[in-house]
Amino acid sequence: SLIDRSVSLPPQVVDHYENPRNVGSLDKTSKNVGTGLVGAPACGDVMKLQIQVDEKGKIVDARFKTFGCGSAIASSSLATEWVKGKTVEEALTIKNTDIAKELCLPPVKLHCSMLAEDAIKAALADYKLKQEPKKEEAEKK
Amino acid sequence: MLLRTAWRRAAAAVPVAPGSRSEAPTRGLRLRVVDHAPQSAVPSDTATAPPAESVLRPLYMDVQATTPLDPRVLDAMLPYLVNYYGNPHSRTHAYGWESEAAMEHARQQVASLIGADPREIIFTSGATESNNIAIKELESAIQPDTSLVSVMTVNNEIGVKQPIAEIGQICSSRKVYFHTDAAQAVGKIPLDVNDMKIDLMSISGHKIYGPKGVGAIYIRRRPRVRVEALQSGGGQERGMRSGTVPTPLVVGLGAACEVAQQEMEYDHKRISKLADRLTQKIMKSLPDVVMNGDPEHHYPGCINLSFAYVEGESLLMALKDVALSSGSACTSASLEPSYVLRAIGTDEDLAHSSIRFGIGRFTTEEEVDYTVEKCIHHVKRLREMSPLWEMVQDGIDLKSIKWTQH
Repeated sequence: SLIDRSVSLPPQVVDHYENPRNVGSLDKTSKNVGTGLVGAPACGDVMKLQIQVDEKGKIVDARFKTFGCGSAIASSSLATEWVKGKTVEEALTIKNTDIAKELCLPPVKLHCSMLAEDAIKAALADYKLKQEPKKEEAEKK
Repeated sequence: MLLRTAWRRAAAAVPVAPGSRSEAPTRGLRLRVVDHAPQSAVPSDTATAPPAESVLRPLYMDVQATTPLDPRVLDAMLPYLVNYYGNPHSRTHAYGWESEAAMEHARQQVASLIGADPREIIFTSGATESNNIAIKELESAIQPDTSLVSVMTVNNEIGVKQPIAEIGQICSSRKVYFHTDAAQAVGKIPLDVNDMKIDLMSISGHKIYGPKGVGAIYIRRRPRVRVEALQSGGGQERGMRSGTVPTPLVVGLGAACEVAQQEMEYDHKRISKLADRLTQKIMKSLPDVVMNGDPEHHYPGCINLSFAYVEGESLLMALKDVALSSGSACTSASLEPSYVLRAIGTDEDLAHSSIRFGIGRFTTEEEVDYTVEKCIHHVKRLREMSPLWEMVQDGIDLKSIKWTQH
């Protein structure tokens, strides 16, 4: 429907589009990079979130790309800001409610923050999966 | 009675309608500066007014949602808001008679635009009320062989024009009532209720540069179409719509119809040119843009484009200097994407990527160029931020991906 909601966007949300940080891609094939791809084009929301982790398990870089509304872009952008500097375990504790609070998301946009949390978890899971076969190799040696 | 007749003769000498066709409104990029300091109607002793803030307002490209008043319409309405404030149903004094004359003149102006008899026009609060009256008529007159066809003349989301004359012909031959919601069509494309065999038509004031809060329903007299009133009361409007007719508003509606009749050809030509300019410039500069709706049977002032791999609301946010609308779920109250796009078989992701551009009587070439330039710039920027665009550039077929659902 073309009935616009009469809710104007919070400035924090607009800021993530106008002054983007961490938009882009990391090398998907690298063993230190975890990639999470969540959502669906048919739903109007797709987030790709990537993390780069050092040998000590600390996230040193993060990138995102999002197909979605302003709140979705802001949620995934904020997610990349927050994971940087955290360890893989600490990043698991990031909650969608914190993202929503930081961006002043209205109730109708809470699902954007939930998808961003899913994206973080998917990236972490992908990273963890990449580490396991290597552990086995190391043990064999 | 004699007094009223004498008054009528005198009043007939004074023209009520807007005057001869005035010059077209001035052109120019209208990033208007508005004084936002609140003005109190009551002057206060504790003087110092707050400092005036100058704020630029967005360009208006959303005429399907509503239209500004044509200045000629405001001119016609003002006397009835200020001086000639009588109730048009008052039969005993000049205030009532002059108000009634204005109301009947407006009725004639509306009728003339659609080829109807003034006795077939009932004033309402808008097209929504008119639609309800038309549909309720079906419920009250239900018989085994009675039915009603109701079709929009021009769709408000994608601008598609329905084959009204053909539908009217079929309905007439099958003795089925034919109603059309012509809110987006009246005054924009030629309509004739007799040529097109229309039995009921809904008309909206604020879609044709008239005031908000007023509309009309056309109800055929020959053969008679019976409707049941939605609201009862003093029996005004031939008992079909009780309630004092708001003279200033119907004067505005009448004036809007008359102006539209004068301007229809000129507006249509100018709007078509601007619409072509907009679509061609965009399609030339951006790949993967789809126009939604039949390109041939289409009203030019309503352009609905899908920008693949970019979500509609994010583009609206980026185009903050331009007032636009989108078919994306994020912009709807129900969080469902446009049902119109779904009905014409648009892929769901393209429905989320749709933007509606409205070009109207007062849209300028500069406004179109500005909108096009910003649109191209921000679509490119949002595509750089889009994982879908990235995957397509890498040669991945998006339909082959197993997407997660939240």
